[in-house]
Amino acid sequence: MDFRKKLTEAAGRVKLPDVSRRQLLVGAAAGGGLLLAWTLWPRSYPTSLVPGDGEAEFGGWLTIGRDSVVTVAIPQLEMGQGITTLLAQIAAVELGADWRQVGAEPVSPSGHFPNLPLAAQWAPLWANFPSLAGEPDDWLVERFAGATAFGATVGGTSLAAYEAPLRAAAASARDMLVRVAADRWDVAAEECEVSGGFVRHSTGGQLRFGELVDDARELDPPDPAPLLPVAAFEDPVFGEADAPTAFPRIDLPSKVDGSHLFAGDIRLPGMVFASIRHGPVGLPELFRFDEGAVAGMRGLVGVVKSKRWLAAVAESWWIADQALARMRAHFTGPGALEQAVLDTEIERAHEQRADLGERIFELGNPDAALGKPSLQRRYDVAPAVHVPLETASATARLVDGRLELWMASQAPAAAREAAAKAIGISPEDVVLYPVAAGGSFDARIEKQHAIEVAQIAAEIGRPVQLTWSRVQDIQAVPPRAPAAADMAASLGGEGQPLAWRARITTPPFMREMGHRLFDNLTPEAAREESRGKADALAVAGAIPPYGIGEVAVDHVPASIRLPVTRMRGGAEALTAFFTETFIDELAVEARRDPFLYRMALLGGAPRMAECLRRASRLGEWDGGRSGSGQGIAMVRMGQDAATAGHIACVAQAGMGPGGARVTQLTAAVDIGRIVNLDIARQQIEGGLVYGLSLALGSSVKYESGHPVPRNLRALELPRLADCPEIVVDFIASDAEPFDPGELGVAVAAPAIGNALFAAAGLRLRRLPLLSEGL
Amino acid sequence: MSRMTVNDRPVEFLMDDDTPLLWALRDAANLTGSKYGCGTGDCGACMVHIDGEALRSCLVTIGEAEGRFVTTIEGLSGDRSHPVQQVLVAEQAIQCGFCTPGIVMAAAALINRNPAASEEDIKAAVPNLCRCGVYPRLVRAIQRAGRVARRQERISAAPAPGISSEDAAREVPALSGQAPAKPRN
Repeated sequence: MDFRKKLTEAAGRVKLPDVSRRQLLVGAAAGGGLLLAWTLWPRSYPTSLVPGDGEAEFGGWLTIGRDSVVTVAIPQLEMGQGITTLLAQIAAVELGADWRQVGAEPVSPSGHFPNLPLAAQWAPLWANFPSLAGEPDDWLVERFAGATAFGATVGGTSLAAYEAPLRAAAASARDMLVRVAADRWDVAAEECEVSGGFVRHSTGGQLRFGELVDDARELDPPDPAPLLPVAAFEDPVFGEADAPTAFPRIDLPSKVDGSHLFAGDIRLPGMVFASIRHGPVGLPELFRFDEGAVAGMRGLVGVVKSKRWLAAVAESWWIADQALARMRAHFTGPGALEQAVLDTEIERAHEQRADLGERIFELGNPDAALGKPSLQRRYDVAPAVHVPLETASATARLVDGRLELWMASQAPAAAREAAAKAIGISPEDVVLYPVAAGGSFDARIEKQHAIEVAQIAAEIGRPVQLTWSRVQDIQAVPPRAPAAADMAASLGGEGQPLAWRARITTPPFMREMGHRLFDNLTPEAAREESRGKADALAVAGAIPPYGIGEVAVDHVPASIRLPVTRMRGGAEALTAFFTETFIDELAVEARRDPFLYRMALLGGAPRMAECLRRASRLGEWDGGRSGSGQGIAMVRMGQDAATAGHIACVAQAGMGPGGARVTQLTAAVDIGRIVNLDIARQQIEGGLVYGLSLALGSSVKYESGHPVPRNLRALELPRLADCPEIVVDFIASDAEPFDPGELGVAVAAPAIGNALFAAAGLRLRRLPLLSEGL
Repeated sequence: MSRMTVNDRPVEFLMDDDTPLLWALRDAANLTGSKYGCGTGDCGACMVHIDGEALRSCLVTIGEAEGRFVTTIEGLSGDRSHPVQQVLVAEQAIQCGFCTPGIVMAAAALINRNPAASEEDIKAAVPNLCRCGVYPRLVRAIQRAGRVARRQERISAAPAPGISSEDAAREVPALSGQAPAKPRN
């Protein structure tokens, strides 16, 4: 069933500005027939976790075998962030298992594993009525996420989405095992406890899970599930960064000996290898190529052409890629993108902001207070490429109308559906085997390569493995959107901001991504569809966490010819750069210590204030004086302060002969309850390094539609020798857990920019920071 | 046609001499531990040992490798026992794992040559690109690997692959040691 189509039809019939479930149902009934379809929509969906012989399945989330091995379903993409271990740990703790008896199994997308928080957050992208943006109707969100098997891995929503159902399943399993043991021992279930993988009784009786599971599976699960009083957590201990971890990552042994299989490592009988060429930006359609150039080429299996690409298939990827080079494909379209045009398009939108802009957020009456702002500054962010180390890769086998697909996808249900549609089969006839990603940083939300590999496999009639070349991955994955911001503030007697306005010009990149993801539109069509529409998600995080009475956030939706998307750090990584550089400028203007200046504005944000204080102490903040090379920045992610994530960072940087050099990054982090301390630390460390790569490099310009540079070397990505000393400290907290993955990315660039100002007296208002030279 | 020794076995690749070693290893020998990240020598994900030296296999043709001894990540230890493998797991200096085989091979060549490598030696010997950002842990980890190699420290973090369920049950009391009736796919 096409959920979006039905939703759109229903919404069209309702014709009300605010659509609730009730109104939708009324409207649907009036339309005739649809009401029936909606009420018959299933409320539960079968799990894609299939127990093997000798295994019993619990709640669709885990299996326990007669050998006592516990296997936990992982409905999220492992891209290095450790989600496989986190979810397995949550189940192990709730179950009372020994960590060494627990395994994990990535599962195919299924309505049994909906990512409800992300579906709610992204409601404006999949529901066609923007009024859903604020408070999405739970019923509608559940129906959408269930019916479309929406379980995307994006934006740090994994724990919020999956911790509770997984705990419930594990707690139920524990209860059922205990009941069986108690029955065998003829004691009360309450007298039994579960630990270390045994059900135990005070009289000394103990039974392994495997000895109980056959009987346990026959019992009815308890309702409600008897959860432990506390979910899995680890306490941060100050200064104990290298303490051994109680829950070591379960994916590392296979990653250290080359046996961990990524999508390009699948080997199937008779499989052949494909390479592909796409058109440059602005020339999306294949025009001509010289097939004669590869006639009789040894090892070449075939050439597959599509409207939008040319692929060569061979006995090795190298031969396929060589064949493409020989065929010299030319592409056509409205016109190749040039950097000057892109710059002009952003500039034009920025200048016309009064007509185009839409107010996303307002507190007080900021425009009146900002009639003549005390300080106004312009900031810019260039397009940046994700460049995960693994290029887009997928393996496909099409036999008897059924497609098997091995790939790493952050949105696997959409990839499965798109692949099915591309070769004219039903999504039910596609099996997607989730494979770990060799990095993603949100590049693998895209699903173009799923469509391509399915089409190539259909055409060639053999199992095919498609691997994009590095150049193709830089060119054909939409980059992080460029942005420009006008920041304005009016100051009080002590230099403190009384009114604040962020006016951000950027394409509605989240809507654009949504049209590619949910509507299967081409990059060009997605751009056209979102053209000129304001996009609150594209300016997320622009409301400063400071106590300022009058605040405005405006979005000016720029129309540019470059398809764009999200990147690790999200819109918050853009808005944090604007906010935290601007507040630093305000502090300098007021001749105040940038740390104390911020602290004075954090009376209403105690968690943020504590983070900032801790970072300043840990980073030996010395006031950020001119010449010190010290900069500070902070970020709060999430609108609700109680459930938000917090990070503050002190950067030490200087200018050397080879450009900017960052020598130290010290971060204090409050992410609420921490499930796995070392994985959280990995995520903050890695986020800071990724943020460093965005602060000093990762950007491309366009020449004749081609991104420049087109190789990794010239993107100025940090290597081991460039890596600053990184110190991370966590603050103990009982608040809701917040995902640590994006915090470091967002805080790094402004902290480094502010440090370079303190080092060299030069305010860098553009990302990457030294892109304009000095 | 190029002949060489790969992981202690004699191999002849029936491919053109100008085929990069990386693609011969991956597509012909099915040794997929060496990764393609760029094909231009920028990332180091394809590093292998050629006569003991860590080299980027995307930049070496099989013609050039003729007659030489090639060791890939699969052949480094066979059981994850190389000190670098053990410490990268112990220090959790791995995230997505795509760059890991290359980093292991770069660091192992260094440690095999100089187990007392300094921080500067390590930074010079490991030029590999890691996008997840494991760098903050690498110097410490590789120095620790050096201590393990010099037998100043023991470490057991990554178990050997292929442990039987009986052996696992001897180690882990919670496991029953009964294999399921049929192995799972």
